[in-house]
Amino acid sequence: MRIVACTEGSFGKLEPLSLEMITAARAAGTAGDEVVAFFAGQDPEPAIASLGVADRLIAASAGNSQLIAADPYARLLADAVAAEEPGLVLVPYSANGLDVAGDLAARTGWPLVSYVNEIIRDDDRLTVVAQVYGGKILAECSVPLPAILMINPGAFAEAERRDVDASKVQHRDAAAIVAEGKVRLIGVDVPSYDSVDLTTAERIVCVGRGIGDEASIDIARGLADILGAEIAGSRPVVDSGWLPKARQVGKSGQKVKPKLYLALGVSGAPEHLEGMSKSDLIIAVNTDPKAPIFNVAHFGATCDLFDLVANLSERLQAASSR
Amino acid sequence: MKILVVLRMIPDSAGELELTSDGRGIDREWLDFQLNDFDDHALEEAILLKEAAGATVVAVAIGEGSNRVLQMAVARGADEAIALEAEGDGMIDSRAIAGSIVALARSKAADLVLCGVQSTEDLFGQLVPYAGALLSWPHVSGSSRLGADGSALRVTQERGGGIAATYEIALPAVIGVQTASKAPRYVSGSKLREASKTAIGKAPSEPAGFERSAEIVALRLPGQRGTGENLGDNPENVAERLANILAAKGFAGV
Repeated sequence: MRIVACTEGSFGKLEPLSLEMITAARAAGTAGDEVVAFFAGQDPEPAIASLGVADRLIAASAGNSQLIAADPYARLLADAVAAEEPGLVLVPYSANGLDVAGDLAARTGWPLVSYVNEIIRDDDRLTVVAQVYGGKILAECSVPLPAILMINPGAFAEAERRDVDASKVQHRDAAAIVAEGKVRLIGVDVPSYDSVDLTTAERIVCVGRGIGDEASIDIARGLADILGAEIAGSRPVVDSGWLPKARQVGKSGQKVKPKLYLALGVSGAPEHLEGMSKSDLIIAVNTDPKAPIFNVAHFGATCDLFDLVANLSERLQAASSR
Repeated sequence: MKILVVLRMIPDSAGELELTSDGRGIDREWLDFQLNDFDDHALEEAILLKEAAGATVVAVAIGEGSNRVLQMAVARGADEAIALEAEGDGMIDSRAIAGSIVALARSKAADLVLCGVQSTEDLFGQLVPYAGALLSWPHVSGSSRLGADGSALRVTQERGGGIAATYEIALPAVIGVQTASKAPRYVSGSKLREASKTAIGKAPSEPAGFERSAEIVALRLPGQRGTGENLGDNPENVAERLANILAAKGFAGV
């Protein structure tokens, strides 16, 4: 069987989850299966310099576009899939992957499973384990091949980075497909860190939906000040406009790895965990004992967060003024 | 411009989920259902577009409590409300409902379909790419800003790591909203009461036509993988322990 593993990158960098897709493809494959990496972006060099663990690389590049939108990416992938006739296509769960996986599934009619953590091969079928309900439930699914899987970041280890042999790279010029597409890139914003860069912060106090309202964020901010920590928020808090986008932790915000991560009222959806689970010390407070944040926390508490923050702030202040 | 906005009712993510006796579904009898958060943002974006550029907004809801959420949508500014028939009483499977949404987009002559970028029940794929590909319309998932500019749409997409890309997209199109340009508005009780008089249309379920799909063999609750220590639920005890832990690890003076 042939397995196509989708990879991504921009601004001269290959996304690390690209290397996870190669590991996932090997996990799904058996001896003799061929793993073909698929890349589409402005510059194929980082892919060529990294994806040597795959058997081959299809590198579609469009020098005329900083980013390749999902629309041309999906069309380039569909062409590659038609030519390669794979038994399995792996797509990373990313902003791009969300558009690409379903698009390919609709065009081919193949089964698709999203949010996959584990893959077990069983002849002409796969058994996969996927996350639903924000990680609160695991779904074991039976998948007839050919099929498409959308793989969770972090579910598989990164494959070793090494060069792809020049003879194993098939170049595709994507400039025409990008130029004639119905989705035209007109600008890219890279965040500026004038005020805060969470990725370099050593201590972070992060508030989630459980904080309740905007005014209550000041209570958490008070504790952050005492601890010398940056205040951050999960997606619902930032979406509500209670904290600026630069302070968002998670998939669509920043990926952080501080020495201390104190999560207040954060449930820990997979998209949030992706951004913070590698922190050195994680302390989580949430009244729901089944909140997935407790799966990654080193210390967890299920008490009322306001009572706790008041009491803890008092103790820390008293200790420091002693 | 005519906008079709899709509103899916899903189990409250903060609630406790229990499995059915056959282990293939969640017990829905005592669950609270609420509007998918991303769909709430899609509704807001639809109303904001209507206010900025003029549009007719058709809200289509699916799942338990659809009528209530459709009244809320009308109170916020939707012009038409349709309850979509659901097949079975299990998960709202975006792969399965894509056919119905495509049929409605065509019958309502929509120029734009908006829905949330994802839902906690779209195990078999997301609605936006399915609907976009089935309609052969361009689609973009994960928008954080939308603006209309004649027959084109300007869409800002969150790409992760804080990077945002802005595209110009020819209509018709399907957009998966992550965050509306402004936080969803509140509506007053009087507006809700007024909206409760609005007639709610019905739309039948239409198959998407996929012959083969993956299927759920079993659901299970994840084991607590974390080896973390539970400090309990008494705030004073927890505060005392945490103060000591923070001090011991060098994060606070004692």
